[in-house]
Amino acid sequence: MPEPPARDEDLVRRYLSGDRAAFAALVERHERRVYNLALRMTGREEDARDATQDAFLTVLRKLSSFRGEAAFTTWLHRVTVNACYDLLRKRQRAPLLDRGEDDRPALEPPPAPDHADASSLSMDVQQALMQVPEDFRAVMILHDVHDLRQEEVAAIVGVPIGTVKSRLHRGRIALARAMGIEQREPVSGDPEGPPASGGSPGASRSGERAEAAGPSEGTVTP
Amino acid sequence: MSHPEDLLADYVDGALDERERAAVDAHLLGCARCSVELRQAGAARAALSELESVPVPFGVTGPVLAEAGRRFERRPGVAWGRFQWAAGLAAAAAVVAVVALNVGGEDAQNAAAPERTTAVAGGTGAAGGAEAAAPGVTFGGLERQTDVNYDEAGIQAVASEAAGAIVEAGDARGSQAAFATSAEDSKERTSLAKECVDRSGVRGPNDVLIRLIEAQFEGTAAFIGVFSEGPGAGQAPDHVVVFVVAKDDCRILSTASQRIPSG
Repeated sequence: MPEPPARDEDLVRRYLSGDRAAFAALVERHERRVYNLALRMTGREEDARDATQDAFLTVLRKLSSFRGEAAFTTWLHRVTVNACYDLLRKRQRAPLLDRGEDDRPALEPPPAPDHADASSLSMDVQQALMQVPEDFRAVMILHDVHDLRQEEVAAIVGVPIGTVKSRLHRGRIALARAMGIEQREPVSGDPEGPPASGGSPGASRSGERAEAAGPSEGTVTP
Repeated sequence: MSHPEDLLADYVDGALDERERAAVDAHLLGCARCSVELRQAGAARAALSELESVPVPFGVTGPVLAEAGRRFERRPGVAWGRFQWAAGLAAAAAVVAVVALNVGGEDAQNAAAPERTTAVAGGTGAAGGAEAAAPGVTFGGLERQTDVNYDEAGIQAVASEAAGAIVEAGDARGSQAAFATSAEDSKERTSLAKECVDRSGVRGPNDVLIRLIEAQFEGTAAFIGVFSEGPGAGQAPDHVVVFVVAKDDCRILSTASQRIPSG
């Protein structure tokens, strides 16, 4: 019978008691999650690489003080989000390095979404994401991209669950506006009534609503 | 009008119970603002769920694992350090022979250049970088000179020696001596050192790695990367640049460059 994979917490213990491979196993298991979180948070591959390394180095440094009060993944996510915050702060302090280069697409207004293919669509989303305030962005990425439960997001970010809910909602609206989706309210009344997505949760994941939205007006609301 | 703010995220996620959803639906009938917001939030959520997970690029976690290894070496009572030293000895016997020339010399700071004799294609190119060779001088693996403490002058000397080696190799083709580093341990360390030098962000697109040294720089454990740098497009390199990065966090400690005399 195959052995079940070791729990993260067991790998931590094994590393601390002298098993070098246990740390490599932890890194291998989580690097993709960490890197993708960092990529969505920072919007740049180069920054994502740095944030990933910073996060794992912090984990390495603090592993001996990891007491297992939180799940390892919760802690790892928290360390990663903090590494991203630090990196974004550093980047803000040296804005000249980031401007005017073609690798800084977030400053461009997003193109009209109606002729976007899949890859440029995700690039548009990423660009728009960078205009959403960090605290909201983190919650959205953890919940809507990484599919973590609100309770876990609350533990990662260190805020009450009500704050997670409101950041989620406000963040999504900010993202939609940055993408140029329905910036104006309907003229009078609302002949269609409530949005269909409320009644069928599956619809909100299918993507058709994004495509059905009106074209961008070319302005961006940060 | 008060809006059911705390329910709207869960409404979009379809996570409300019947009663709560009915309450929101009732509110929406009379509230254009919340209707618009819910449409926007639904569209945003759909767009986010389309973002795909991308694979981790090569070399991101290498330096982390290297650091984990170093921590083990520093921990008392862990046998890894000794094991690694033994493996390193076996692996790099030829390298040690070359380096011994330096250690035996009177000036360890200004380590004489092994690269005149190290122009070999060993089995160490595994780290994946496209190492198109400078004429006659090929990267042959990581050289361990951990006892050697370089200073600025020593780094400049490394640059000058490399430039000289490229000229010499250009003059006398086919006269290269060879050494190979083949053991796993050595391969691993080589790729870690490469990643560290690459990570420092100083490497240009036309820089070709010709030498990599693990040593100290003014007392700090460091990797020294030696690159030939040219205009690209297959033209001969015209400069040697040397980057010194700290082993522990890959920050840049020093650089040097040397023009390669032409003709």
